[in-house]
Amino acid sequence: MYSRLVSSSRTAVIGLTAVMALSTTAFAGPIDDRQAAMKNVGKAMGALAAIAKKEAPFDAGVVNSNATALADNVKAAKDHFPEGSATGDKETWAKAEIWQNKADFDAKADKAVEAAMAMAAVTAEADFGAALGALGNACKACHTDYRRPKQ
Amino acid sequence: MKRILAAGIIAGGIAAAVGWIVAAPDPLPASALGAHAANVENGKRLYTAAGCLSCHLPAKDDTEADVSLPSGGRALKTPAGVFYPPNITPDATGIGGWTGIQFVNAVKGGISPQNTHYLPAFPYTSYARMTNSDVLDIKAYMDTLKPVQASNRQPDLPLGLPAETVMRRGLGIWKIAAGFGPVEFARDASRDEVWNRGAYLVRGPGHCGECHTPRNWAMALDASRWLAGGPHPEGAGKVPSLRNLKARKRFKDAKDLATALEFGETLGYDKMSSGGMAAVQTNMSKLPAEDRLAIATYLMSLE
Ligand code: HEC
Ligand code: HEC
Ligand code: HEC
Repeated sequence: MYSRLVSSSRTAVIGLTAVMALSTTAFAGPIDDRQAAMKNVGKAMGALAAIAKKEAPFDAGVVNSNATALADNVKAAKDHFPEGSATGDKETWAKAEIWQNKADFDAKADKAVEAAMAMAAVTAEADFGAALGALGNACKACHTDYRRPKQ
Repeated sequence: MKRILAAGIIAGGIAAAVGWIVAAPDPLPASALGAHAANVENGKRLYTAAGCLSCHLPAKDDTEADVSLPSGGRALKTPAGVFYPPNITPDATGIGGWTGIQFVNAVKGGISPQNTHYLPAFPYTSYARMTNSDVLDIKAYMDTLKPVQASNRQPDLPLGLPAETVMRRGLGIWKIAAGFGPVEFARDASRDEVWNRGAYLVRGPGHCGECHTPRNWAMALDASRWLAGGPHPEGAGKVPSLRNLKARKRFKDAKDLATALEFGETLGYDKMSSGGMAAVQTNMSKLPAEDRLAIATYLMSLE
């Protein structure tokens, strides 16, 4: 009896966490989701830039984990630009042009993912600079056309 | 009653005529320019710092056009309407055959060879601070570019051509209200060469204030809030302040900022691409390192 109670409450707790996890994704909305993903992209980029600026040593492991996280988060962000989310309950800096040129926008996201994967494969410091340049240009290309300045 | 009305009409007519005369362009005579030995290399450097190509690009849908030449036609959205910066290659359909004084009056005074006012979307309000010698060097460099035959496109204005004629004349009044005059940059003797070079590049050719300084009631840059940031001139988002960059921990020092101007987002500097800044940063990356450091030194000194 006691053990059944524990196990059922455990199931309940697991169930509850699952529901909570579901509800956070369900209620956050695309603007929140893509901004959170982009913030993670920015964080990973910061770690890579620190290596380029010699503020941190070159470490292939660190490069790989940040580049992988970056690729995953650009992919995640790409999925959170549904039609109709040019405005929402939260302020967004995404430009309406995204939905007028969605194919180009998506291609720019894919290009950033590609550049991040190439970065993840870098093991020699000599290849790092060029990989970072390509990656940074992929961010710049998209923000130039599709992001409004925040402040 | 009739007499009052007549007097009113006459007074109105006089006011309009005076306004029309006051609003007339007042270009410099050719004698204002002394002898000039052209320095093409210097011209190229200032053409880059001034971002002439960035605005005078060919139209986006013109896939045949060479994007390294300022043949014009790319849409520039402004609150007054959509403008298509003209062809400024040395072709007959561009500025081929222009004299030095015509070029100086256009770039520094906003006055065309036909003696009409240009719109301030062409940032002559900043370029006015350049020296005549630098402006003539820009022309000397542009004269070496390949001429492109490309006709100019009329602006899309809500009220069409008559509105354009009146608006262009009205710009004369605007120039007065905005306190515009071709006043060249004045050095600050209490500062060193590097700072003064930076101040010149930012205030003159770089025209950084056109976006980074908020405007007053007359749509003129508000000098008391120089580079303090504000709404974007094209109405999309906010342009960041360039003051107190160090205290706000945006950049560690002038070297850090110079690096940001050189590499922008490729080195993780996150506010260097949206709202037109990407083209500016790309231009900055093509300048000699000493110019970037000068600009950074000047900006970091602003509190
Ligand atoms: C395919 C287009 C695209 C690409 C590629 C892209 N971004 Fe973004 N990014 C955006 C958009 C759009 C926004 C604004 C989202 C919003 O406000 O809803 C944004 C916002 C951001 C933000 C601000 C997040 C916040 O809300 O504070 C950062 C930081 C950022 N991006 C970093 C990067 C970096 C670094 C890269 C390259 C590794 C990159 N982005 C690549 C489109 C892109
Ligand atoms: C911010 C955008 C912008 C920049 C930067 C810019 N221009 Fe222009 N320019 C314009 C616009 C818009 C016009 C048309 C103005 C009008 O129709 O009244 C113009 C017009 C001109 C004209 C007149 C051409 C004609 O046929 O009458 C010349 C010459 C010119 N620009 C040269 C330059 C040079 C040289 C530079 C760099 C030092 C430069 N421009 C930078 C926007 C720009
Ligand atoms: C066409 C308008 C425009 C012009 C001209 C312009 N800027 Fe900017 N600038 C911006 C915008 C918009 C941003 C924010 C970009 C973003 O959020 O991605 C910015 C950002 C910056 C930043 C980053 C500030 C920070 O807090 O990180 C610096 C530094 C800067 N500009 C310097 C300059 C300099 C120097 C010039 C002149 C050579 C200049 N800008 C000319 C629009 C402009």
